[in-house]
Amino acid sequence: MRLPWLENNDNLQANLFTLVIHLALFIFMIFSVNWQVKTPYYAEVELWDAIPTQIKPKPLIKRATPKVQKPQPSIAEKIVEAKKDADIQLKKKKAAELKKKKAAELKKKKAAELKKKKAAELKKKKAAELKKKKAAELKKIEQLKKKALEEEKLAELQKRLLEDEEVEKVQKKLLEQDDLERLQEELRNKDLAKETRIAIEGTQDLVAGTNSGELEKYKALIQQKIYQNVNKQLCGLDPLELIFEIVLMPTGDLIGGAKMIKSSKIESCDQAVERAILQAQPLPMPQDNRLFSQLKKLKLKFQPNGPIN
Amino acid sequence: MKQSFWKFFFLIWLVCISNASHALEVIEILGGKASQIPVAVIPFKDNNAQKSMQLMHEVITNDLNRSGLFSSIDISGVSDYPIDEREVNFSNWAALQSQFIVVGKIDAIGRSNSQMQVTWSLIDIYKEKTVLSVAIKGQPSQYRVIAHRIADTIYEKLTGSKGVFDTNIAFVKKLGKEKYSLFIADYDGHNPRAIVNSRYSIISPRWSPNGKKIAYVSFEKKKPVIYVQDIETGKRTLLANFRGNNSAPAWSPDSKKLAIVLTYSANSQIYTIDADGKNIKQLMRTRSINTEPAWSPNGKEIYFSSDRAGSAQIYKVDVDTNEVVRVTFEGNNNVSPSLSPDGKLLLFLNQDNGSYRVAIQNLLSNQMLKLTNGPDDESPIFSPNGHMVLFTYKDYGKVSKIGTVSINGLKMTPIDVGSETILESTWGPLSD
Amino acid sequence: MKNSLLLASLLAILAAGCSTTDINDSMGLNAPFPELESSTGDGSEVDLIGSSQGKELNQSALDELAAAAELADRSVYFDYDSFAIKSDFEGVISNHATFINKHDAAVVVYGNADYRGSHEYNLALGQKRAVAVKQALEALGVNGSAIETISFGEEHANQTCTGSTCGQDRRADIGYVGE
Repeated sequence: MRLPWLENNDNLQANLFTLVIHLALFIFMIFSVNWQVKTPYYAEVELWDAIPTQIKPKPLIKRATPKVQKPQPSIAEKIVEAKKDADIQLKKKKAAELKKKKAAELKKKKAAELKKKKAAELKKKKAAELKKKKAAELKKIEQLKKKALEEEKLAELQKRLLEDEEVEKVQKKLLEQDDLERLQEELRNKDLAKETRIAIEGTQDLVAGTNSGELEKYKALIQQKIYQNVNKQLCGLDPLELIFEIVLMPTGDLIGGAKMIKSSKIESCDQAVERAILQAQPLPMPQDNRLFSQLKKLKLKFQPNGPIN
Repeated sequence: MKQSFWKFFFLIWLVCISNASHALEVIEILGGKASQIPVAVIPFKDNNAQKSMQLMHEVITNDLNRSGLFSSIDISGVSDYPIDEREVNFSNWAALQSQFIVVGKIDAIGRSNSQMQVTWSLIDIYKEKTVLSVAIKGQPSQYRVIAHRIADTIYEKLTGSKGVFDTNIAFVKKLGKEKYSLFIADYDGHNPRAIVNSRYSIISPRWSPNGKKIAYVSFEKKKPVIYVQDIETGKRTLLANFRGNNSAPAWSPDSKKLAIVLTYSANSQIYTIDADGKNIKQLMRTRSINTEPAWSPNGKEIYFSSDRAGSAQIYKVDVDTNEVVRVTFEGNNNVSPSLSPDGKLLLFLNQDNGSYRVAIQNLLSNQMLKLTNGPDDESPIFSPNGHMVLFTYKDYGKVSKIGTVSINGLKMTPIDVGSETILESTWGPLSD
Repeated sequence: MKNSLLLASLLAILAAGCSTTDINDSMGLNAPFPELESSTGDGSEVDLIGSSQGKELNQSALDELAAAAELADRSVYFDYDSFAIKSDFEGVISNHATFINKHDAAVVVYGNADYRGSHEYNLALGQKRAVAVKQALEALGVNGSAIETISFGEEHANQTCTGSTCGQDRRADIGYVGE
């Protein structure tokens, strides 16, 4: 384009030229300012999830999006299209549903697996707990057993101690009795007047009378000594009974043999029992006259094959 | 007058009262012991100069000891040999703990002093009196029999039961590889004589209760068959040779029948048969073994061994009703039953831990008593008075021997019959 | 009237024929005693295999028996106090069953026991072993009435055996009539 008025005026040319430069610079300045406002990095930083949206620079040239005119479809085509669409929609829907379903199944599966896992973990946990519990119980039982055993041992020890005590007591008692008997013997052997003698025996009377255990003791001693000699093999196998009466001297020997009151009806048995009595002489006799007089005549009852019911 | 009478009466009454005995103290002695009566048998004074007589006191001592009811006093330190009560120093013998002594003398009598007379006494030391005094006559060669009879008399007097010292036993010996003999001998093994010789095994010898015959099983026909042999004549008859095995003969108490075991190509079963071989009857039928029959003394039951419960045990069957009852329950198995003469005790072999031993069981209380230890004790049988058991056993040399054990378990004594191995043995009855 | 009588009698006959025994008759327990007349009392004797239905082996059969390696083994061994046939011996039994059936042979099975226990009980135990082998042979088709059983109990046993050596005595042996 030719501007004649511009070509003939040098001043105007120069003035216009400077104006254009100043305008350009001015525009440039504006743009620079804008540009500077754009990015204050060091001034303040704000963190977002997404990248901070930058202020887009205004495009200098707007590109025009070409509009493509779609050809108008016919009704049939429209229907087909619609069908196609519908199909596609349906397919899409189905796919979506399938996807959903799969997703749901997957979710379910995952949920189930998770559940299983949790259940397994729970089981394990419970098993471990149970094991622990059992171990604890076993331990408890062991402890109880130990305790019981200890208690048993203790009880036995106590029992044994008691027994020992009992034995000691009995021994002591026997010793006391020995002492008493010795004393009595000494008194008896002294040459005393009859009255004194009666007096002592009188005292002994009291002692003997209150101490009936003595009588039982001698009866037991006699019973034991005769029992050792009873040869029950000669009395068969059936229950039977024999009764003998004997009269004794203070020495423990029999006067006049053993008198049979009741026979076993088996001669060898009668004889065996009689032999047992005779063989047991001298029978243990107390020194005490009063006691002796109670044991002077005895009835001996034998049941060699056990008690008769 | 009246007053003095009553005074007198009063006095008498006082005296009586003062002498009146109190109620007698009673001492009860329950039970007793199984002990042995101490007896001393003194050598008989021999006016005869026959040395064999001197052994009579030994025979008597051995007899009494073997029974388990007597123990002989050691008289080696005694120099005083009384021959009757008048010569006895009672306190000496009492000091030796002897309850009885047996003394005697032997005189030659008869024409040319060929016979002997033994006069002997059994004296009670505690009562200080003679219990028995007996005279016996016989030939010098019969000294053992006479001694046994003396022992029998002593035994009967002191125990009330018949003695068995004059009875016989029978036993089978294996003399070599193909040499077996059935012997009869005195109960203590003396005077053995063979009544059967065979190349093959003989087992289960059984005396008839009347003492006349002996039944046994022989393998001479290459299979077991049963013979019955007359002891006096030696003549024998074949009682059972049925198809299969014929064994385990057991006489009925009246000697008229026998229980036997036949297999007849199947398992062992029990039959009864008359002593003349007629009237065979099957007693029971089971799939199991039924063998070793033994009659009860009253003839009403037969005891036997059977494996019907899995292991061998002893049962009894009622001969009339055929009802079967199990009798033994202890140990792994129990076999070889027999009954005591009074029917109260069962004798059998009890096995546990692999050892076979002799045992008895009280049939009323069912209590069992082991009499021996094994490990290979067999063939148990009662003596005719039920006080001893004859059985075979293996000693360390692994040879089978025979011996007796008393039923109180106190005394086991071997019977010396030589060194060859014994298969089976049995005891003969009392001679009437 | 006539018909019912006929019917009744028929039924009666049937009923009589139907009386049962509770034991398997193959054990021969119901069999009569044919030797009853000929044994006992008068001392006459019964042959070992008098009533067997098998045949005695002739010479060619004997030769075959001697030549056959698998028939050389005649014994079945048993455990202590047992009569059960162990599988180890099924071969022995079947080999002999074949031979027996081929020649219709008369057979004897001998039972034995070791020495422990009473002689009589061991006779019975040996017998049970012989019967076990007999039944095993019958199961393989052998005619039972051709098989005799005999027991020797402990009479052939080693009286001093110990532990495992006693096993030799616990056996049943197969034998043939004619050899």
